[in-house]
Amino acid sequence: MNRDDSQLNILAPRSLRPKLDYLHREVQQAAGRPLSRRQALGLGGMALLAGAAGCSTSASPASSGSPASSGAASASANPLTGKPLEGHLEIYTWSEYSDPSTFTKFTKLPAEAKAGLTLHQTFYSSNDELLAKLHAGGTSYDIIVPSQNAVAELIQENSLMALDKALLPNLKYLDPSFLKPSYDPTGDYHVIKDFGITMFFFNNKIVTEEIKTMHDFYMALPKYVGKGRTNLLDGAEEVVPLALMALGLDPNTSSQADFSQAKSFLLSIRKGVTTIDASAYIDDAIAGKIILGQGWNGDIRRIVQGRAKQGDMTAVIPGAASEIWADNWCIPASAPHPVAAHAWINWLLTPGTAVTEMNYHDYKIPMDSALSQLAPSLRNDPLFNVPKSYTDNYHYILNVSPQVVEARTQIYSEFKAA
Amino acid sequence: MTVAEKEPEVAAAPAATRRRRSFRPRYPAWLTAPSLLYYTVFFLGPMAILVAFSLAAQQGFGSLRYGFDTSQYGQVTTSLYLAIFGRTLIMAAVGTLLTVAVGYPVAYWMARYLSTYKMLALLIVVVPFWTSFLIRTYALKIILDPNGYLARDLGISIMYTRYAVAVGLVYNYLPLFILPVFASLERMDWTLIEAAADLGARPFSAFREITLRLTLPGVVTGALLVFIPMTGEYIIPNILSGGNYEFVGNVIGDQFNQAQNQPFGSALSISLMLALSVFVIIYILVATKEERFGA
Repeated sequence: MNRDDSQLNILAPRSLRPKLDYLHREVQQAAGRPLSRRQALGLGGMALLAGAAGCSTSASPASSGSPASSGAASASANPLTGKPLEGHLEIYTWSEYSDPSTFTKFTKLPAEAKAGLTLHQTFYSSNDELLAKLHAGGTSYDIIVPSQNAVAELIQENSLMALDKALLPNLKYLDPSFLKPSYDPTGDYHVIKDFGITMFFFNNKIVTEEIKTMHDFYMALPKYVGKGRTNLLDGAEEVVPLALMALGLDPNTSSQADFSQAKSFLLSIRKGVTTIDASAYIDDAIAGKIILGQGWNGDIRRIVQGRAKQGDMTAVIPGAASEIWADNWCIPASAPHPVAAHAWINWLLTPGTAVTEMNYHDYKIPMDSALSQLAPSLRNDPLFNVPKSYTDNYHYILNVSPQVVEARTQIYSEFKAA
Repeated sequence: MTVAEKEPEVAAAPAATRRRRSFRPRYPAWLTAPSLLYYTVFFLGPMAILVAFSLAAQQGFGSLRYGFDTSQYGQVTTSLYLAIFGRTLIMAAVGTLLTVAVGYPVAYWMARYLSTYKMLALLIVVVPFWTSFLIRTYALKIILDPNGYLARDLGISIMYTRYAVAVGLVYNYLPLFILPVFASLERMDWTLIEAAADLGARPFSAFREITLRLTLPGVVTGALLVFIPMTGEYIIPNILSGGNYEFVGNVIGDQFNQAQNQPFGSALSISLMLALSVFVIIYILVATKEERFGA
């Protein structure tokens, strides 16, 4: 117990909460990467420690009669059934992404209260930051919240623990179509936290024609750029795959021909793009500064609400293809408190908790029993409850391989420099 | 000369027991060990890691194979990245020239025309430096806003263009230039100007022949002091260009943050450093020249 606590003090700074997000990320990465030699040693050491701790706690209760039962469950490689709940849970997540009451209520659940479970959070502001921290040997986390592309990457690196479904009985509440997505085909490593889509909005006083698909959106850019600011979401993993989808191609392609097609398409509309930004576009759009732009559904919902008085913002859920993204609950392979981590995920899968969560962060959790309990104003808003008829054609954007990511980044650099 | 040579003998001979006066270093050199250690660990160390990264090959996400792979440097010399290097250096040069054009008159005015309020003026120049760089740049965004006063009333709508980046560079780096130039103007012996006037020089020739020449080392120092960080700039192009005029620093950021391609990002960083060292060498030549002829 004490050993675990001191471990936490070393690896997870308690008071760290990024304010200037991307500056912080820069520092993280500058400091995180160069440690790769030590990181290996650190990982080994921590694995030993965790192993030792695991052995010492499990030795007495598990040796009595469970080998057979755990053998049966070991398809998931993590027979945690019957192991006692640990006294601590370390969560590494995005800031302000869960209702505060979700945490306090969790520690007051009967089993958790009995174990005297304490809970502690640290925060990151991007998947890159999360990955950098894990690559640099951050092994004290029990729960992380990676987006779909980071999940796929972490599975590839064997950094995630296969979930013990026996400890997640509430999984039955989730929409089954979200259990085995393309980023985790076996469904063994993640539980979806919430999801959203990439769409676009325009000022209907200025843009008067009907634009319905992502392709329409791109074609409208050069036409309207003279009348105000247009904006694309930034990042190579956003710009290039979205262009591929607008062209009807696979966003996760590794084909050179597809890439060159996307590149010439992007360059052809470059003059129609005023800014490429994902950090300030909400405020700018609410201030009426953007006349045509991409955005994520939760953000665009805020924009439309912010412009309700003027009533000049039209939000469009693209027909044909666009991006669907998801944030997920995952347990790192090195998690020191795996049973508590499972208990946490199971708690979040409780319909009542899901309702609280959705009311807090305004992103959809695919759980019908929870959705039906929401206020109609939220439940019936397509910008929140995106109709399945749309998302069925949408794709998750993944970091397929370093080569693909590099190809995207190069097109992105070229696009920006053009 | 002969007197100076005899001095020590005279001083040493009568009292051999007295401590000899020496101008040699008084403390053992190893006392600098902490500083050197700091320098080694936090400056040379990361540099060595950067070099190792740049010569490594990317194997998978977050894993590298160390070796001697120069292909990353080959990629740096492709037209896309050369163009980005070119635009970075040109923009930094333009920014430096503008800084000189704006900063020199201010420094001159402060040194020559102010006496009572000299320190106050200096304070006003330095005060913005006490605010975060990031906040100053965001403040500029408000001033340059397409719906702001500047754009609406004066028709100067330059936000999200290279001109906005240039304004940002000059604004943020101006104090760094003014300070060394002010220092060299402060040391100026203005009686030289009076002498020049007495000898019939017009004010401008006096300025050109005397003031400018004597303060040139300060100008070069100040210019280099702003030019080098300008080429490494990340925040200003990021915030003010809206993705339209980005520097090598932004491309390096993308390589590290998004592509997770540390080898290529490192190769870009080192190439930038090499390009900059050319300018540093020029500076060293100018600076030593100054010492040779005396300021």
